[in-house]
Formats: sequence, C-alpha cells, structure tokens
Amino acid sequence: MIMITGGAFSGKKAYAKTRFGFSDGDIMNGENCSFDAVFSAKCIADYQLIVKRLLEEKADVQTFTERLCKENPNAVVIINEIGAGIIPLEKSDRIRREETGRAGCLIARNSSEVIRLVCGIPTIIKGENKA
Amino acid sequence: MTVLVTGGSKCGKSHFAESLFNDLEGEKIYIATMQPYGEEAFAAIERHRKMRSGKGFETIEKYTDIGSVDVPEGCGVLLECMGNLCANEMFCGEEMTCPADKIIDGIKQLKSRTKLLVIVTNEVGSDGISYAEGTAEYIREMGEINRRTAELSDLVVECVYGIPVR
Repeated sequence: MIMITGGAFSGKKAYAKTRFGFSDGDIMNGENCSFDAVFSAKCIADYQLIVKRLLEEKADVQTFTERLCKENPNAVVIINEIGAGIIPLEKSDRIRREETGRAGCLIARNSSEVIRLVCGIPTIIKGENKA
Repeated sequence: MTVLVTGGSKCGKSHFAESLFNDLEGEKIYIATMQPYGEEAFAAIERHRKMRSGKGFETIEKYTDIGSVDVPEGCGVLLECMGNLCANEMFCGEEMTCPADKIIDGIKQLKSRTKLLVIVTNEVGSDGISYAEGTAEYIREMGEINRRTAELSDLVVECVYGIPVR
C-alpha cells in the first residue's frame, strides 16, 4: 500500500497520476464513490471524506480502514492532513478529526511508502527512498 | 537534550515522544497540562494514561507556571502539551495574557535541570480559517512559542500520521 498526504490542494492527485500513470477512471473519489469500491480500487482519493461519510452512517471507521488495508494491499490512498488547526467547536467535527487521524496512522503503518506534498513538492517520509 | 515534537491532532506525537524515554535511566516525570474538565478531556486523559502505563512515568498535573515544577536534577521530563498550557495561561486568569515569555522562561528552567526534556506541542495555524480575536491571538502566541522552543531544542520532530519527520 502507498499513502499520499498533505494539505488540501497541495498536489496529491497530480502526483499520483504522474508517478503511477493513473487515469481519472482509476481514481475513486472519496466524496461519492461506493464504500465497496474502496476495497478494490487502484487509487482512492479524499479518504478523509470516506471517514466523514462512514461517521454519518454510524459505521466503524477503524474497522473499515483495517479491512481496506487487508483486502486492498496494493492501493494508493490519498488522504488530506486535517488536524493542524484549532480544535473545532462542533463535537461531530472533533470526532471526525480524531477518527481521520487514527485512520491515517493505520494506513501509514500499513504502507510501504508514504509521500507528503507541500506546495506540489513531494517528500518521501516513509520507505526505501526516504528523504 | 531537548526535543520538540510537533504535528496536528492525533498524528502519533505522544507515542513518539514517549518512545524517546525508552532507554533513559533514572527518574521520568510526565507534566500533564490538560485540565480534567468535561467528558472529552477525561476520555483523552484516560487514553494517554493507558498509553503511558508501565513506562515508569510519575505524573504531575500542572496547568500553568511550569517553571515552578520542582523536578529533581538530572531527571527526564515529558511536557504535554503546549497547546493546553498556552490556552490555560492565556484564558484562565481574569484577563487574557500573552504568555510566550513566561512559558519560554519555564522551559528554560526545566531544561537547566533535566537530562532529557521532551515537549509536545501542536500545529494550530494550518486550517486556513480566520478566527475572532482571542483565538487569533492564541494561534499567534502558539506560533511564537513553537518558534522559540525550537530554537532552544537540539532536535525538532514533526509527526505526520504517525511518521516522525526530522
């Protein structure tokens, strides 16, 4: 599994396309793809939105993420960094932030390589070619 | 040695910070700055207590004035976390204060007495939201404290989804 992270609009998806040659059809969009598609997709973008939708369905995010790691071990997972701000006022947002953090840690642990984008610039933070 | 560990929320900062004490001989002190108010704070404190249990830390709860904590010469101190400490100093008195100078003095005092000082802080300025005065001031103070603490540190590590980036 490979994980790509960074802030919003930092160049994550463009990096995935360039490096892995993905077409738009290869990339499942976390905003609206079916939950089942996650377990077979080549690339899942906006995993933080999958987390959001799972919470809205009252599903267990960590169990779902464990299943993703187990059943789709070759996936490229793109997930935004969302925790580097002020603690949200709404409890549901605080829970979402926490669940996203934990899910991201789980994906990172299961990934052979983790890349982080800053202003479109990739830095490998885990893996053989670690910076 | 002084180490600053930063990162967003739930990114594995505590886990990494605690691991730095694995090979440390002697006394280990955990200075907890979070005030136990409310159900969520209790849950967070419980989770951290469980994570620390068996690792040999003595816990001291200190919500403000960290410089006055009486730590024995040559011990190891894990201070967690700056986000709470800064908020406590700023908002717990009758008037809002700018605590950067006071907190940095406190860190210097702890640093002078410890063999290993690890400080866990937070990145709070990257959500792109404009906040009202008070919160905006808090972000500014945290930025200043983080910069000045980094200058005093031998090592600064940022955690990204559990991965320590040096």
